[in-house]
Amino acid sequence: MKKDKAAPAPRHALDFLGIALAVVIIGAYFLLPFVIQPEHGPSTVAVLTESKKANELGIFKTGLEVVPLAALGMLLLGVWNVLVPGAARAISLLLALAGLLALVYYINFFRYTPLGPPNEWGEGTLIGSLGIAFWIMLGASAVAVLQALIPRPVPAPRYRVAKLFGNQESVILFGLLLLMIVIGLANPRYLQERNISDNLAGNAYIAVAALGMTMVIVTGNIDISVGSLVGLLAVISGRLVVAGTPAPLAWLAPLVIGGGFGAMIGFLVAYLRIPSIVVTLGMLSIIKGILIIWAQGERVRDMPADYFLSQMRPLGIPMPIIIMVVLTIGVALWMRYSATGRAFYALGGNVEAARLSGLSRRRLVMTVFILNGVFVGVASVMYSTQFNIIQATPPPALELSVITASVVGGVSILGGTGTAVGSTMATLLLNFIRSAMVFINVSPFWLKAVQGLLILVTVLADLLRRRRQRL
Amino acid sequence: MPSAPRNPTVVEKLRRHLISQEGVLFMIMLVSVLFLATRTDKFLTVDNLLQQGRFMTEVGLIAIPMTYIIITGGIDLSVGSILGLTAIVLGWSWQELGFPLELAIVTGIASGTLAGFVNGLFIVRVGVPPLIMTLATLALFRGLAEGISKARSARGYPEWFFELGQGEFLGIPTQLWLLIVAVLVFGIVLARTQLGRALYAIGNNETGARFSGLTVNRYLLLIYTFSGFMSGVAGYIFVSRVSTTRSDMGTGIELDVIAAVVLGGTSIFGGTGSVAGTMIGVVLIQLLKNGLALSGVTSDATIVVIGSVLIFAILVNNFIQTRRGGD
Amino acid sequence: MKKTLAISMILALLLALVSMPLSAQDRWDGADDLAVNPLACGMGDEMMDDSDEMMDDEEDMGMMEYDGGQPAMMGDDMAGMDIVLVDVPKLVGIGYFAATTLGQQQAAEELGNVSVTTDAPTEANIDDQIQVIDAYITQGVDGILFAANDPVAIAPVLRKALEAGIHVVGYDANSEPDAREWFVNQAEFNGIAKALVDSLADQMGADAAFGIVTSTFTTPNQARWIAEMWAYASECYPDLTWLETLEAQEDAVLSFQQAQTLINKYGEDMDGIFAMTSVATPNSADAVQQAGLCEDVAVVGLATPNGMKPYVNDGCVRDVILWNPVDLGYAAVYVTRAVVDGEFMPGDSSVMAGRLGELMVVNGSEVLLGPPFVFTADNINDFDF
Repeated sequence: MKKDKAAPAPRHALDFLGIALAVVIIGAYFLLPFVIQPEHGPSTVAVLTESKKANELGIFKTGLEVVPLAALGMLLLGVWNVLVPGAARAISLLLALAGLLALVYYINFFRYTPLGPPNEWGEGTLIGSLGIAFWIMLGASAVAVLQALIPRPVPAPRYRVAKLFGNQESVILFGLLLLMIVIGLANPRYLQERNISDNLAGNAYIAVAALGMTMVIVTGNIDISVGSLVGLLAVISGRLVVAGTPAPLAWLAPLVIGGGFGAMIGFLVAYLRIPSIVVTLGMLSIIKGILIIWAQGERVRDMPADYFLSQMRPLGIPMPIIIMVVLTIGVALWMRYSATGRAFYALGGNVEAARLSGLSRRRLVMTVFILNGVFVGVASVMYSTQFNIIQATPPPALELSVITASVVGGVSILGGTGTAVGSTMATLLLNFIRSAMVFINVSPFWLKAVQGLLILVTVLADLLRRRRQRL
Repeated sequence: MPSAPRNPTVVEKLRRHLISQEGVLFMIMLVSVLFLATRTDKFLTVDNLLQQGRFMTEVGLIAIPMTYIIITGGIDLSVGSILGLTAIVLGWSWQELGFPLELAIVTGIASGTLAGFVNGLFIVRVGVPPLIMTLATLALFRGLAEGISKARSARGYPEWFFELGQGEFLGIPTQLWLLIVAVLVFGIVLARTQLGRALYAIGNNETGARFSGLTVNRYLLLIYTFSGFMSGVAGYIFVSRVSTTRSDMGTGIELDVIAAVVLGGTSIFGGTGSVAGTMIGVVLIQLLKNGLALSGVTSDATIVVIGSVLIFAILVNNFIQTRRGGD
Repeated sequence: MKKTLAISMILALLLALVSMPLSAQDRWDGADDLAVNPLACGMGDEMMDDSDEMMDDEEDMGMMEYDGGQPAMMGDDMAGMDIVLVDVPKLVGIGYFAATTLGQQQAAEELGNVSVTTDAPTEANIDDQIQVIDAYITQGVDGILFAANDPVAIAPVLRKALEAGIHVVGYDANSEPDAREWFVNQAEFNGIAKALVDSLADQMGADAAFGIVTSTFTTPNQARWIAEMWAYASECYPDLTWLETLEAQEDAVLSFQQAQTLINKYGEDMDGIFAMTSVATPNSADAVQQAGLCEDVAVVGLATPNGMKPYVNDGCVRDVILWNPVDLGYAAVYVTRAVVDGEFMPGDSSVMAGRLGELMVVNGSEVLLGPPFVFTADNINDFDF
């Protein structure tokens, strides 16, 4: 054990090579469309669809070759990294897997494109061939980058397997990849780009709310009122913009009001010392009642066109995905490097220690609830700008999804541990499962049971990992 | 400077009871009831109160094991799903499998108990934190109920089946007797037996309890199984009351139960609480709901009031207990 | 030891995961063991004038004995006197029941001697609804209007109301017949089913393939519509392909995502989506619109016009099918008034309902509002609810 406590070995240069390769692939993926068919705009889907018709477009094929080369590089690098003693890391295996997947799908793409449709796999596969590689590598490289940033006071494990899955994020990412491979083999359409990006964008608001929840839980508190609050803030934002407020202000208002509600909860918890579960149970009913009385079932509609933040696609990427990724990285960095962020862990882990280190418990709790309120505000804007209609009821059982995502993502309910990356990944896994079940024709009656089982399996896998590490 | 021990006088005893958690809550309840009674003369009648007793039985029954569990520092979010699962197994085994109804009832409650046992097993044997375990089974048990029922409802029970949920015994709703007996028995168990003391010990300091030789795992397994059993019984009563089974029965009841338990003065961090307090919490919420409805307040405003009362009651209690602690 | 246990538990779970759900591939047709009664075939355009078939139906059904319940005798005759009604829809806070409430208030204003208050749980929960009704029985109202969350579960408390001498009239979602006096039926299940299926077949051809987004499999109205659609389609459009039915509760985001899942799963193989709730329809339309598939995937569904205007006006959705919920609430109040006044008795074949004129009695104890209404780009902007 003593040896493990020594300063971490310098990061293997090859890791950075892997990340660089991922960046090349992602860059190529986004830049190619501009190079090839500017008139089609930044949508890769459009370019690929078009390229099927005009297969003579030689430049397109040439450009594409970057992808399999980089994928092969990732695969080899990953495998080599796993085999070399001392350099083994979770990320190596993930890189290898990502490379393999990219390769497999590239070959499929190659096999079918020259022949042209129709083929039994349908158009979705062709379009998805690149999509899958892209999304998975994006995830893998994001984790690779973040691995360097996440605090991890876990002693180095003894077993090789445990080394590969040294943290909850890897377990979940591995689960996500496994899910994609299995479901993708059964029904390739699952992996088409549109499905993946729909799934990511559609659940991003849950992930953002889960970021706030993660911070709250890390400090040893909980917030059950998020569902009601998202509903209320969404209607407020919608009504503001319909009443003529400029869209940016209507986006900002929920953040401010959410922060205000957070401050109220924080005050009750921190200064009047009511347990957070009691306060937020009460607030759940209060906010919901206010929403129903105030909104009277009137849906909000006729919002101006510039209001729909979630439907924007800068550079072809849906806005919710951008917000989710940026906020996740931001929170991860903030919790790692800022004094307040680290104090949250201290607060959840050991109140006495936090007090002794000169941190005011009350101010920290206030801060964390205000932050949570702001994140709920962001989530509510993502929610309200998603559709042309805003329902005047709270999204049902949203708080359960959010809390489940946070705890499955490795946040200990007793506080003290947990990461932003984990909670976002868990949100994605849990929601990918739902649509995956539909793609492999699980009987609709059993959908919920299978989801429950999979949540349990994820939690158990993590537990098993920790147990091994403790051995 | 502590004076020499002496026997407390009657007044002191009374005073101590009045400013205990339960005492304060009881006063809040009394004030609310009196206030509501001035608003409408339909509220404080025997018939109406008994009817409210009928409605709160399911929540009351589940709140007993929930109190136990929260005292140990755990939580059980899957109770609503267990209620639904029990109801579905009951109806399904009777209608699809052709069990005699008596056996179907037993099967239903047994499946609820088994569900609770599974929760307990994973929590003590595998070490899954209770919140996470029961969050997962919240989805799992509801899913099983949906899968087994295939979205069909089982109805058309014989007349005797409704006796428990809709009938009366000695002028009091049948299920209320069950609740009263359960409250008395399990209230005493918690307050007076070794089991009860063990639960408080676990809640105060689980590691300490283990070192002092308590079979912590066995106790925990027992109470989670008990929670499944009581949810099962509540499921049976619920089916008997509403005459049909649906897989979405009991959705969200876990929050009602937890609200009642924490309102009743049980600390969410474990270590303190009582069945009496929980029951006052259950009764208070039910009477508020009903009394407000009778005085013409609509449901949407009622939930605002109940939410506020929950926070307010804990606030007042905190304040009084702190003052007392400072004496 | 513990490790082995944990591993074996995971294995068992995985095994259950594989074996359990995949064995159950049966299609859900919503019938719940009740008989279906499909209408005769016919194309969508004739639907509005389908009164012949409706009449046929009434002749079959109108013969049925009155099967509603009756309140216990009351001491005083309330005819013409001021009455207090309470309206207990499935839940409050959604646009549909806000519209029925509006209609009730209009009727109350017209009549002048009726006052109606709406009160219902904030979630569509059977137990909460029972408790709300029970409180109003205790409080002592003259009549209860309800839309049941579950037809069987609500029956005991409604019978209790009848015993207390309170008039009970349902609308939107029925209870067991003998637990209420009358039920104002917005449109018969088979009529709705026919309108929906005809519209899809008209838009995408009689060999179209479609998926369904519904609330839950246990919601009685949605289940009945799907059962009737199934019966009608298999009789009149045997070439229609039923792909899949997905649950989306009354959840906007989930409806959107389920529609997306259907689109992505079936791609070009799917021509249409039926959306069965006023939440699912606009959000399914949104999913189709955002995927840029307005031409390829027709969304046909039940929804209130206000929710659908953005999609109908830009041409993404052609037909929205619904009755007029304002009229439904309006009719429910008129029927109750007529019952209280003794002008509408068991055995009558019609009732006068203010601006709606004469409404027919069907199925023994149901008052039929009329055939379903089809909102299109031509008329949707004339409605505001």
